[in-house]
Amino acid sequence: MAGQCSVRTSTIVGVEALPVDVEVDVGAGLPSFAIVGLPDLAVQEARERVRSALRFCGFELPNARIVVNLAPGPLRKHGTGFDLPIALAILGATRQLPDSVTRDVVAVGELSLDGRVRPVPGMLAHALSARTAGRTLLGPAVETAAVLVAGLDYRALTRLSGLRMGLPGPVKGDLAVRVENPCDTDFSEVVGQDVALRALVAAAAGGHNVLMIGPPGSGKTMLARRLPGILPPLDEQERLQTALVHSVAGVDDAAALAGFRPFRAPHHSASVAGLVGGGSPPRPGEASLAHNGVLFLDEMAQFGPAALQCLRQPIEDGVVTLVRAEGRMRFPALFALIGASNPCPCGFLGDPARECRCNVAQIDRYSARIGGPLMDRIDLVVQVQRPDASLLLEPGHGPGSEALRGAVLEARAQAAHRGLGNTGRLSGAGLLASCRMSSDACRFLEKAASTHHLSGRGITRMLRVSRTFADLDGVERVGTDQLSEALGYRARDGR
Amino acid sequence: MTWDDGIRRFEFEIGDAGYPELLAESPDPPQQLYVIGDPKSLAPGFGVVGARKSTPYGLAAAEHFAGWAGRAGYIVVSGGAVGCDQAAHRAALAAQGRTVAVMAGGADVHYPRSAGALLRQVARHGAVVSEHPWGTQPQRWTFRTRNRIIAGLSSALLVLEAALGSGTFSTADYALAAGRDVLAVPGSIYAPECAGANRLIRQGATPITDADELRLALECVLGPPAVPPDTWEPAASQGDDPVLCAVRTNPQRPDDLSRALHLDVLTVLRRLGLLETEGRIVRFRDGRYGPR
Repeated sequence: MAGQCSVRTSTIVGVEALPVDVEVDVGAGLPSFAIVGLPDLAVQEARERVRSALRFCGFELPNARIVVNLAPGPLRKHGTGFDLPIALAILGATRQLPDSVTRDVVAVGELSLDGRVRPVPGMLAHALSARTAGRTLLGPAVETAAVLVAGLDYRALTRLSGLRMGLPGPVKGDLAVRVENPCDTDFSEVVGQDVALRALVAAAAGGHNVLMIGPPGSGKTMLARRLPGILPPLDEQERLQTALVHSVAGVDDAAALAGFRPFRAPHHSASVAGLVGGGSPPRPGEASLAHNGVLFLDEMAQFGPAALQCLRQPIEDGVVTLVRAEGRMRFPALFALIGASNPCPCGFLGDPARECRCNVAQIDRYSARIGGPLMDRIDLVVQVQRPDASLLLEPGHGPGSEALRGAVLEARAQAAHRGLGNTGRLSGAGLLASCRMSSDACRFLEKAASTHHLSGRGITRMLRVSRTFADLDGVERVGTDQLSEALGYRARDGR
Repeated sequence: MTWDDGIRRFEFEIGDAGYPELLAESPDPPQQLYVIGDPKSLAPGFGVVGARKSTPYGLAAAEHFAGWAGRAGYIVVSGGAVGCDQAAHRAALAAQGRTVAVMAGGADVHYPRSAGALLRQVARHGAVVSEHPWGTQPQRWTFRTRNRIIAGLSSALLVLEAALGSGTFSTADYALAAGRDVLAVPGSIYAPECAGANRLIRQGATPITDADELRLALECVLGPPAVPPDTWEPAASQGDDPVLCAVRTNPQRPDDLSRALHLDVLTVLRRLGLLETEGRIVRFRDGRYGPR
């Protein structure tokens, strides 16, 4: 039963699946089963799963010397997706399966001991890679991921023994993914927070970063959690990008594929690797999982300073670049940052009902934890206060998420018409040109800049916010109205 | 030492010729007095005290009244602490006046450390004094005992922002015990940081609402100003802007303003931005807007 066979598969590097050939040689010699080609422990363990699955499905594992080589050699191979291609290549090499089954496919899947095929993280990435190569993807039966890649020939295999009948038929059917909206809360439940609400609407419309400061129980988290409900749906390309990151990270990608923007709220104990990505093999962090959506950092001042400062690069570039011994990896991370923080260690600074017990130095130190460079990247700072109890008893008076979403969509349409991209990322000449300020507005801006000692960055932030306010107001030019409104959302004087 | 040597140091024991007479008359005067600067500026002065955690209102009042007193030739006495105290020292210095800082540690120990430059200025144009030997680090309790020296050196004491039970409030107690005039700047009845000053007024302290009243009060105890004040610029008119009026009466947030005035929150935000840029109101660090 000697012979050779090669089956194509792929392995995840960053958010990409790179093609890997699984070559099997079954030859004479002492019976053995070896895997070479920089496999990690999970790949090594494939031997036991493959052995068992083959036997259980009625195939034969020859009592011979079996060598599995994973090419290209220098690339590290991770994960359990190699089970299926290894089994396939053994079956091909021993002529238990016809050539037609093993040729021209990309096989990815983990095997159970009884031969069932299980999905692995990153199915979407594997699907994209197969489509690029113009090959058929042979993998587990998954509900959403791979089917959505239009133009891909996808064959779903439930059990290894199914291959006796040749390749299964292509997966067809309903491409629309039906997922419940993950955001089941509505802004109409929020009362007496008009100032903060306006900031969040602006953030949704212009992609600005927002910091909400207020005592505990003032509704910062409540406001942030309702933000996904007013975000516009992901477009076709964004869906795929976001779902790809989710898929690679092993997070359910159905919501992203259905067009819902991700909302990630990592706990403040998050490590650097957890927040921006890392580990071995490098996995995307929360910042990347929030790609095209919202990253909400509750109790922002409590996050580790190292983790917080690592967010600066993705906020600036929209991408996390990890440099490791095996190379550079880029994870997309284009998100709107929504932060929430207490104003001081005790949390009650400015609370009309409770007295703040912190001294000035403590307050300064607390607010400095977020750090100047990160604050420079936050366009809107809003002070949130617990609303009057009397207002809470008559809910449902604020504008609902549906109406706000309409306003956001209109503002986005106006911004898109300019063709300069996300307002929250504009700067320099493009920003100034997009504002089209009258001479009155220019004079006001100059005066405000000198009164409040605004730095260049401060002016940029103010202009961006004004531009979005103008879009929300449906006016073409940024006027004194928008500028004066934006002033109320600046961090503090001298910045 | 952190002090440059152009400034002279003095030590007085109670009963010495240079020991300030007014301080000696107060109950429980310090046995020793350590001075950096000009001992002549330990003549009867005008105390200005207020909270560390000051609001822009307190700072503005400190600047206003200490600046006036400094220009008029009165000696401004305060504690060198962050907030109102430093604002008072700065305003007096800016008005080319003399000022005295009473320290809770040794007179040569810069506390808070950030005040080093200011305290050097104070020593050059007045004096930095303490009852503690050179090099003593301040302790929690010495801040309160230091307050009795501020009161002792002052013929009149102006209380700016003082919460009830605060150190500032204790200075007023010492001043009353020493039989000195207590003046207070009234504040909003809703602001806890003004509760102390308002209570003092109820108990008989003279409310100070403008420079003329301060002049009357100081003339009684310290004599007419050495430098007669030039004409004071008239206060900015209140106007009939409802947002401006509301914010001047009581510092508020935009959300509360919009509800109280039945105005759209957008209108309020825009109006606040305009008023702030015109310098008529300021935003507090907790997000409220208040008078400048």
